[in-house]
Amino acid sequence: MPTPPTTPQRTTPPHRDSGLSRRDALRAGLAGAAAFASNMTVLNVLRSPALAEELKRGRKRVILLWLAGGASQLETWDPKPGRATGGPYRAIPTAVPGIHISELLPKLAQRIGHTSIIRSLNTRNGDHGGASVLMHLGRRDEPSLKYPDLGAMLARELARADSAVPDYVSFYTATEGRGNAVGRSGFLGAQYAPMFLTTDSKPNNLALPEGVSDLDHAQRGELRKLLSERFAQGRTSSTLASHNEAYARVRGLMASERLFDISDEPQSIRDMYGPTLFGEQTLIARRLIEAGTPFVKVSRAWWDSHGQNFETHLELATELDHVMSGLLDDLEQRGLLENTLVITLSEFGRTPAINPSLGRDHFASAWSATLSGCGVHGGSVYGKSDDDGQRVVDGEIGAAELFATIFQAVGIDHQKQYYVGSRPIPMTDPGTQPVNEVLA
Amino acid sequence: MTTIDPTNLKTTKEIGRPDILFCVAHLPDSTRLWAGSSDGKVYELDPMAEPNQLGELAGHQGFVTGVCLTDKHVVSGAYDGRLMWWDRDSREQVRSVEAHQKWIRGVVASPDSKLVASVADDMVCRLWNTDSGELVRELHGHQPNTPQNFPSMLYCCAFSSDGAQLATADKLGHVVVWEVASGNQLGTVDAPIMYTWDPKQRLHSIGGVRSVAFSPDGRLLALGGTGQINNIDHLEALARVEVFDWRKGERTHEFPGDEHKGLVERLAFDPEGKWLLAAGGDNGGFVKIFDVEASKIARQDKAPMHVHDFAASESWDSIYAVGHNKLVVWQFET
Repeated sequence: MPTPPTTPQRTTPPHRDSGLSRRDALRAGLAGAAAFASNMTVLNVLRSPALAEELKRGRKRVILLWLAGGASQLETWDPKPGRATGGPYRAIPTAVPGIHISELLPKLAQRIGHTSIIRSLNTRNGDHGGASVLMHLGRRDEPSLKYPDLGAMLARELARADSAVPDYVSFYTATEGRGNAVGRSGFLGAQYAPMFLTTDSKPNNLALPEGVSDLDHAQRGELRKLLSERFAQGRTSSTLASHNEAYARVRGLMASERLFDISDEPQSIRDMYGPTLFGEQTLIARRLIEAGTPFVKVSRAWWDSHGQNFETHLELATELDHVMSGLLDDLEQRGLLENTLVITLSEFGRTPAINPSLGRDHFASAWSATLSGCGVHGGSVYGKSDDDGQRVVDGEIGAAELFATIFQAVGIDHQKQYYVGSRPIPMTDPGTQPVNEVLA
Repeated sequence: MTTIDPTNLKTTKEIGRPDILFCVAHLPDSTRLWAGSSDGKVYELDPMAEPNQLGELAGHQGFVTGVCLTDKHVVSGAYDGRLMWWDRDSREQVRSVEAHQKWIRGVVASPDSKLVASVADDMVCRLWNTDSGELVRELHGHQPNTPQNFPSMLYCCAFSSDGAQLATADKLGHVVVWEVASGNQLGTVDAPIMYTWDPKQRLHSIGGVRSVAFSPDGRLLALGGTGQINNIDHLEALARVEVFDWRKGERTHEFPGDEHKGLVERLAFDPEGKWLLAAGGDNGGFVKIFDVEASKIARQDKAPMHVHDFAASESWDSIYAVGHNKLVVWQFET
């Protein structure tokens, strides 16, 4: 439900005088928890009764498979076989009559019943940097205001106040394009910034320092709690309670280290995701959302196939087919799919024209994304590009409409407003409408 | 005797096309060509005639990437995994064989025209009886996956001039020389530098040995591809050729390139074995002539397009090159 204008949810900017910098927090691998400690007033807001109903939505989860560099719609979701622009791959039928996708995705073709394909994105930006920002924010960036990205907004809306796990985890291991993979909490405050994992698939420094035992740690915690309670006696500041919650959350994060360790997963489950890094990180994503993390982004770079597009997609689309199919199956078998939205998205698609290096270049005029699982009308196709894939001929949408649809799919009113000071900021730009045909 | 003077190589005909031509075969003592296209057809062409397109052979469902001539037939192979035999004169399809499970990358005829060899991404080379179309032999010697668990590719093959040996080359740079009569492996050579796996920036691969050719005496085996690529979004490494004494397993020549980037898509020794002709490209194209004995580049130039294949006339006075949106005739002018 939209927040009534008369009772705005005020989002307080992060404290600038915190002794713990954002960079420090990332280094510690405790970004979410440390940021909480640096911004206690938000914890207080989250505890308000008015949000209780909102927090029930905390069961919804989102996994974004970010296909960095720009996956080709023609080699994935919108093939054009037999056309000069079509390339060498065939279109294959899916489990839903009438829907065909690239032969590089045979497993997903059999699981299309979970998925709605959107073939009509026209986002008008073919530059990696600008397009990545657009597809992370759902709107054009604005120098005077730091908008939060999709993950931060979903973490803000779907996280549980008492959660012991991070609210927003982002994997991006390849170095190319990592700087474009926006992880920005913006005006929502640093507590919704991602735990951004780059060099490793699990956060560093969650383990106790050498020489500190579990018992030591527990005793230190008890001592801190005792001192804090004494300090709080006779004082009524809610900030003190938030302070204690933040510590509890840090302990929770430390205990969540095992979530990043897939070694205890049965081999049969690991096989569902495959042996690649993308597969392993997607399996971790499932473990995280199962434990309560509301938003996980798994970035698979780098699809920017200016040369040898078809061979690149043979590798990357084949991998996507296996990994995403494994994810959908795993979520379904665990009863999680109905509450988990799986998104595939890039910053743009690729040109229908095939260049002399047998590559495809940047193209934002008619490209594709998918939504699967939670809140989605599976087995559907929305929008249409022309016969050669050069332009959208039906159902054109942009980033804002896609974001509105994502929000609606997980039960969030896309027109909800945040407030920065007295300025209302809607979750999506005014006038934006979700694509109802994509929604269940 | 050939009288090739590399300095006299000239472009004498340049014909624009709407498609990409991936392969070409030349009929001896004529200017007739058959070229495989991105539109799934094989086109019969005569660049010296007007109009230059004489006919078409339609039947494949995918890029046509291999074409060769036998005594009576045109044999084509495509990404649809099928080999097709066509009557050269009537243009009727004689036979269609489901030859491979994955993309066919190359089709060549043995010098005596009795066998046709096909290579494909199922990583098998198959030898076919030219007349009957029956499978004669399968050659298994290439790994199906890269070390990073992605599918590998078997890009090319070539017969020795006496037809006794056949070489096959894959994405990882692994090359196997086979005894055609028995199917036994006679030797292997490797050019791993032609395969780039980017483990850090982009996490995928590019490259491979894209062309292979025996010297006329059968001693040397030339491999074409590209060098290690820093930015694998593009074919930005220098085009690369390595030559091996394959029986010894020794690399005898290394031409890492100094000017043109991209893949060496086609290699051929002249009948004397003095010159090695290479062509390929990235977004542009190139042609290079190596002096084998002197182990140096004798001539290199831009080509009008990315060249995917070429065929030489018997006397090597004319070279017919096909590629991205073009057919080109080069001639060694005297």
